[in-house]
Amino acid sequence: MTDLADRQKLSYIAAQAADARLNVELETEGMTLNIGPQHPATHGTLRIIVRLDGEQVVWAEPSAGYMHRGYEKLTEVRTFPQVTALVNRIDWLGSFANEVPFILAAEQLMDIEAPPRAQWIRTILFELSRIANVSLFLGDLGVQLGAVTPVFMAFRDREYVLNLIESATGGRFHPNFDRIGGLKDDLPAGWIAETKQVMKKLRNFCDEIEELLFGNEIFQSRLRGIGVIPAEVAKQYGLSGANLRASGVDWDLRRDQKLPLAYDKVDWKVWTHPDGDSFARCWIRLQETREATHIVDQLLDGIPNGPIMAKVPRIIKVPEGEAWVSTENPLGEMGYYVVSKGDLGPFRVKIRSASFNNISIVPWVLRGVYVPDVISILASLYFILGDIDR
Amino acid sequence: MGLVDKGRLPKPLTTLFNMGRSYSLWVYQWGLACCAIEMGAAFGSPRYDVMRLGVIPLPASPRQADLVVISGTVTDKMAPSIKRLYEQMPEPKYVISMGSCANCGGPYWDSYSVTKGIDQIIPVDVYVPGCPPRPEALLEGVVLLQQRIKNEDMGARWRGEGTKAIVREPIVVGGGPVE
Amino acid sequence: MSDDSTVAELPGDALREGVVQALRDALGDALLDSVIVPQRDVWVRVRTDAWRQAGIVLRDTVGCDYFCFLSAIDWMPSPFGRGEDDPTQPAPERDTEIRQGVTGGDTRMQVFARVTNIAKHFGVTIKADVADDDTVVDSWVPVYAGANWHERETHEMFGIGFAGHPDLRNMYLPTDFEGHPLRKDFPLLARLVKPWPGIADVEPLPGDDSEDES
Repeated sequence: MTDLADRQKLSYIAAQAADARLNVELETEGMTLNIGPQHPATHGTLRIIVRLDGEQVVWAEPSAGYMHRGYEKLTEVRTFPQVTALVNRIDWLGSFANEVPFILAAEQLMDIEAPPRAQWIRTILFELSRIANVSLFLGDLGVQLGAVTPVFMAFRDREYVLNLIESATGGRFHPNFDRIGGLKDDLPAGWIAETKQVMKKLRNFCDEIEELLFGNEIFQSRLRGIGVIPAEVAKQYGLSGANLRASGVDWDLRRDQKLPLAYDKVDWKVWTHPDGDSFARCWIRLQETREATHIVDQLLDGIPNGPIMAKVPRIIKVPEGEAWVSTENPLGEMGYYVVSKGDLGPFRVKIRSASFNNISIVPWVLRGVYVPDVISILASLYFILGDIDR
Repeated sequence: MGLVDKGRLPKPLTTLFNMGRSYSLWVYQWGLACCAIEMGAAFGSPRYDVMRLGVIPLPASPRQADLVVISGTVTDKMAPSIKRLYEQMPEPKYVISMGSCANCGGPYWDSYSVTKGIDQIIPVDVYVPGCPPRPEALLEGVVLLQQRIKNEDMGARWRGEGTKAIVREPIVVGGGPVE
Repeated sequence: MSDDSTVAELPGDALREGVVQALRDALGDALLDSVIVPQRDVWVRVRTDAWRQAGIVLRDTVGCDYFCFLSAIDWMPSPFGRGEDDPTQPAPERDTEIRQGVTGGDTRMQVFARVTNIAKHFGVTIKADVADDDTVVDSWVPVYAGANWHERETHEMFGIGFAGHPDLRNMYLPTDFEGHPLRKDFPLLARLVKPWPGIADVEPLPGDDSEDES
């Protein structure tokens, strides 16, 4: 561990030096580098303006807004089912996960709970969307660092999960399957057996990626000790999900919050890592994917029978009130603050998206970092543009 | 080539050139949002492999690309970059608009920051509807575009009558055969 | 002060009552209102000039070290409804009364934030009025570093100023964008320009007693 502590100290000193360099009069002309908005490594249209002194970053600033679609204004003119359909597209890789906190908030306002069968199936689909999302992250991680092969494996294995989601909901992603009071439809016959097979394949995929990428010496030396975020800073900025747990903070909304989802009915583990560097963030996501497959396996064995939808009126008017629900989405903590005035649609919805907070730390974490490390830090922080820009 | 400049391009040569062009398209992927993932699945995944159609999804820059696939929501802030990208491509160039956001604004048709379709900025050859369209739909769009290229009048194109002069009705995937 | 704690013996309840009490001790009469939904959530409203002080109290005394988000609500009902009117017809009568939500309020806009105490697993939603004539509040950047981007977004969407913010420029919109989109009087032009084609006339099924929608 001395090696790691030295690297951390070095990067801290480099950051201090970068700050100090701004004041030196004999400074050489720095260069301003514009990364994005169209760049293979930026997961979408994120533009980062970076001022360099040689190879080191002196100042960095992400410029978001290239995918700003005005979600919060659009939700004010739509009805609740329409908002559910729209909200799928915020985190567009794990789409079912976006619907769930919104539906839960509306159900809280209406003071109803979905029947147990619906709760279990919601949890299963939630974990499937987590697997679909993070398996693409693992593939993309290779591409950011120059290893092109894992992304083909990721797409191939993701197809199995998308097929599952499609056979249950009708949509590969953007399922639009959640309804206030339950789900739209029940599971098709044979889905449970098929899902178990797919979970085995996904576990193989995780093992392959672990061997191919994480055991690789180049991968380790590019990610260990880079982009260290201490726990206090992470909490101040509101980092969530794997980013927070990689800094040693033991906080997982699936376990620490009481929501009508089936997480307390199964046995599973929360992964944390003390280092807080890029490697820790990536490693935790790998472990969480494997954990998600275990959760799905256990849930599949115990789905209760019963109705799939609670008794709700055909035209839903949610009573007046305010509710906040957040869940542990694949990207982090995603929450909706729903203000309703007894209408067909919400009055105001504040969407708290995980990547917005995750990327707000970029100016802080990129100081004193070398240019290739910029890409690897961004890769490890993992954001989706739709989540940042809404 | 001398034949083309003087407008004397015999039919067999045109057919040969068109066939060659349509089966070696280099696609620049301008992936913006969710459709980019389906485009990635269509172009990069082993299942919906696009290379079997002769389309290579790996040009290093827009200046080496024949075809650009614009997939995902176009915002007003992003629109100038797309225009600049389109202008960087050399003729003959084609544009496929993938997904309802790029076709017409899609689910964000009433937003204050979304451009309602990229055909407001650049001319589009093929519209692929869907939200997101399945990878097979995108491949169908590419195949229909290849059919159109095979039937194109190369002479008119190379005489300098650029995209504005040629009246081309855009293809919509699912809209029937193309001549 | 309104306390919704009808079920008094549950442990989650005592926790949140302790939070409200700690805030009351630290802020005195700057704590204007509080609502507790037992086992679920707690809302508080503070006076506008105590906004930053309340943040400091939440961070240091109550122990909410995790910054969730910061934003604003415009309580004026939209004069355009849901943008589904026929522009050839005169505009229908609309409710224009400004009714604030859970912890009440006196002004059209309120700024609100949420912070979480990770060790004890609870969160607090805190609101403050924003005066109609002087839409400026103190910035929370010295309290939570993450508030930086949230305040930029709130500023461009609502037009609320944040005193003490190091760099208040637009987050999402281009610099030449005019207007503040999330204010209710900012229209969605695409909906005003032509009549909404999607109005569904839903008739009740035979034997169903749900209402019509037009």
